[in-house]
Amino acid sequence: MPTKINDLNKFFGDFQALKDINLTTEEGEFIAILGPSGCGKTTLLRLLAGFTSPTDGEIYMDDVLVGNNKNSVPPEKRNLNMVFQSFALWPHMNVGDHIKFALQHHRHMKRLSGAALDERIDEVLSIVGLEAFKNRLPGDLSGGQKQRVSLARAIAPKPKLLLMDEPLSNLDAELRIEMRREIQNIHNITEASIIYVTHDQGEALAMADRIIVMNEGRIEQIGRPEEIYSNPATPFVATFVGKANLFKGEWKDDGFQPENTDLIWHNSNISEDFMKAGIYPLRPEQISLAKSEGGMLKGTVMTKQFQGKEYHYSVDVNGQTVIVHLPLRENYEIGEIVSIEPNPN
Amino acid sequence: MRKNKDGRLHGAVYPSFFKNALKVISLILIFFIFVLPIFRLILMSFTGDDGITLAFYSEVLFSERTWNVLVNTTIIVILSTLISSVLGVTFSWLIAYTDIRWKNLFQLLILLPFIIPSYIISLAWVDFFGGQGTIVNMFEQIGMEISGWNLYSMSGIIVVMGISHAPLVYLFTVNVLRRIPREMELAARASGAGRLASFRKILLPMALPGIASGTFIAFLGSLDNFGIPAFLGIPGNITVLSTYIYQQVIGFGTSSFNNAAVLSVILGVMAVVGLLIQWLFLRKSKRIQTTKLDMEPRYHLGKKKLPVEILLIVFFLFISIFPLLSMIASSFLNAVGLSYSPENLTLDNFEFVLTSSSSYAAIMNSIKFAGVTALLGILFGTIIAYIRVRKGTRTIRFVETAVTIPYALPGTVLALAMIFTWINPIPGVDWNPGIYGSAMIMYIAYFTRFLLLQVRGSITAFQQVDIEIEEAAQVNGARPVAKWRKILMPLILPGVLSGTVLVFLTALTELTVSALLYSSTSQTIGVSILSFQQSGYSLLANAFSTLIIVAIIGVYFLLFVIQYIIRKKVASDAHKNK
Repeated sequence: MPTKINDLNKFFGDFQALKDINLTTEEGEFIAILGPSGCGKTTLLRLLAGFTSPTDGEIYMDDVLVGNNKNSVPPEKRNLNMVFQSFALWPHMNVGDHIKFALQHHRHMKRLSGAALDERIDEVLSIVGLEAFKNRLPGDLSGGQKQRVSLARAIAPKPKLLLMDEPLSNLDAELRIEMRREIQNIHNITEASIIYVTHDQGEALAMADRIIVMNEGRIEQIGRPEEIYSNPATPFVATFVGKANLFKGEWKDDGFQPENTDLIWHNSNISEDFMKAGIYPLRPEQISLAKSEGGMLKGTVMTKQFQGKEYHYSVDVNGQTVIVHLPLRENYEIGEIVSIEPNPN
Repeated sequence: MRKNKDGRLHGAVYPSFFKNALKVISLILIFFIFVLPIFRLILMSFTGDDGITLAFYSEVLFSERTWNVLVNTTIIVILSTLISSVLGVTFSWLIAYTDIRWKNLFQLLILLPFIIPSYIISLAWVDFFGGQGTIVNMFEQIGMEISGWNLYSMSGIIVVMGISHAPLVYLFTVNVLRRIPREMELAARASGAGRLASFRKILLPMALPGIASGTFIAFLGSLDNFGIPAFLGIPGNITVLSTYIYQQVIGFGTSSFNNAAVLSVILGVMAVVGLLIQWLFLRKSKRIQTTKLDMEPRYHLGKKKLPVEILLIVFFLFISIFPLLSMIASSFLNAVGLSYSPENLTLDNFEFVLTSSSSYAAIMNSIKFAGVTALLGILFGTIIAYIRVRKGTRTIRFVETAVTIPYALPGTVLALAMIFTWINPIPGVDWNPGIYGSAMIMYIAYFTRFLLLQVRGSITAFQQVDIEIEEAAQVNGARPVAKWRKILMPLILPGVLSGTVLVFLTALTELTVSALLYSSTSQTIGVSILSFQQSGYSLLANAFSTLIIVAIIGVYFLLFVIQYIIRKKVASDAHKNK
């Protein structure tokens, strides 16, 4: 469902949780809201759901005003559903009843009864692979199964918008990767718009059509995953999404001159923010090391971690810790003096 | 969802004038019912015929009797609190940390004095340990002359009170102990501290907040307690503040109400001093962060296990089981001190209690008062608890504090405050609605005093239901009615009912407040038992108490059955489709 947010602000007492949020989403789009805890992403999601109302600004869904500073359409009347971080299963209801509850109560669902109702319940359960668990209580399910129930309940009434609040953060690492495919699959089947809140840049990059990076209540950047990763708009996005190292120095006409050197690093595709701040971002795989003799920017290898297909080094460069990922064939030892330069690729 | 002509949203929630008006009116009512009476009481202690005066304070404070009463109160409160703390902490340690068996049974025995009213414990102890009691009789049977323990004494009051309030210390301490991560102590041991040092330097400081709160509650309970000094102190001519206030009020002397008000203020000041000491004590302590209860034993008693268990069993036999059995048995006797031969046994005592018009009326009154209090409690207590858990605004915190006041206050003080308030509800206007002296004041007093118990029970119930569980119902389109009926109610009902049962039973057996507020038409069970005992009909008092114990067991049994059915229903709904 197309959603439009205009100049949205949200205060909790004196604390401003959201600052001038503007956002438009398309029909069927998968949007990830990415940011560290406390950045306002969950507040934004709760505003979209209708659990809280804006201090200022408007929210439109399907071109209809659903929330401003005076009025807010309650969640049960919006054509959406939600997947919660804690799963939020009802401990006294079995899996089948969860789906039934959604089908019987959701306002935008054509009422089903009898065989049609049972059919839809089975259909939804088969999408998430839980046909055999229809009569189980939540207490008897594993974490992954609980999250599948939660997903099934959310998609059952065919809402046009699915809100997901860190749905995978309560699962272990292995399962998280598996559930990413599950959620993509659900997106394909339902064709609903998804707004997905997460602090895990891997999840956002893997699944979203567009990512919204948030920090301290503000939107830092909106863009396709590739854009966000390769061309971060702000130092925050560079470090949070790309885990980039930020080098201080000065931007000249022909490129960037790192502090205390006469080197020039060339880059044509850098955003204004970095120019102004005198910063050059390099992701760990964008750096190459060399034996020290020639280079101007030197550092000492502090730690070295074997990661299967590559080594992860931390290098102390004038007091700054620089993270570098190198293929196995480029081997340095702890304590070695190395010089640092941007990787030509 | 389309805009109306006037630009409003369909289905939107409006912060309405009506809602705000309701809020303001509720707050005023709550302030009037729960908070104002205290101010009226304090005011009364300064108000004579000619306006503000200190005359009553000087009258009370310069009377030798007052100081006598204060000394008694202080000795009894300090020593009985000491007993409660030692017992409570020992029980907590045994149950939380050691590997003794039958913990559920022991826990029930520990909590027994909390479930049974303290005046019934007093009666039972007199019947078992007393001068004409069972022990004395048993020794007589084997031809030995011993003189029983005169419980109508300082020692009697102190010990019975200490036993009665030990469960409070236990309840506050046991889960604090369980919440201390066992790694804390292991870390101390690994760092080289011995068992004793790690106990003293790590465990004790971490357990202190719980122990101190429990001790403070026991202290308040001892100050507040009226049943024990009434049943044991009045016959022994030992007066403490609570019974002194009672005697002043029922004495109806010229300035007795004002003097009682002064004494209540003194009692209140003592409670506040206790609170202050607790605060000083806990100021520096840090709260433990974990919320997980570790139920696994940490100390294995080994060879000492069986002796400890036997010791505990013997202890509980003598402090609870034998005295109660003795009291129950003696209520079948024709007269005090007879042997249990067939010709001495009778049901007359029970027949009298159940058929005499005054005690029958008392039973009916108590059931009515307790029933109405419990029902009103479910409604208001659950509403308050819901707003408290889900919203937690400053307003609801005020409400919570207001509701706590009547429960935290000594019962005699509350009763007196009620009298002053309802004799003349609107200060300055000469209007007595006739509430004091009728049954109405009992409803009001019970409701204000016990609402907190329901609020606490319901808060616990709501805290176990994550807000996302409710929100999940909302995003699935459930209207408030459907959300409450299908999701919230089934989940909170068992917890709410536990609170309700506590309210009902506490109100049913209430003595302190009723003793000051009852009139000829509103006598209660507690008052009835008190008057039997004070006029020397101890077997009737025993029989009445026996009935109460049966009722308590019955109600708890009912609660467990209902809770079992609710949980079973959940399970069977789940299996219906299989």
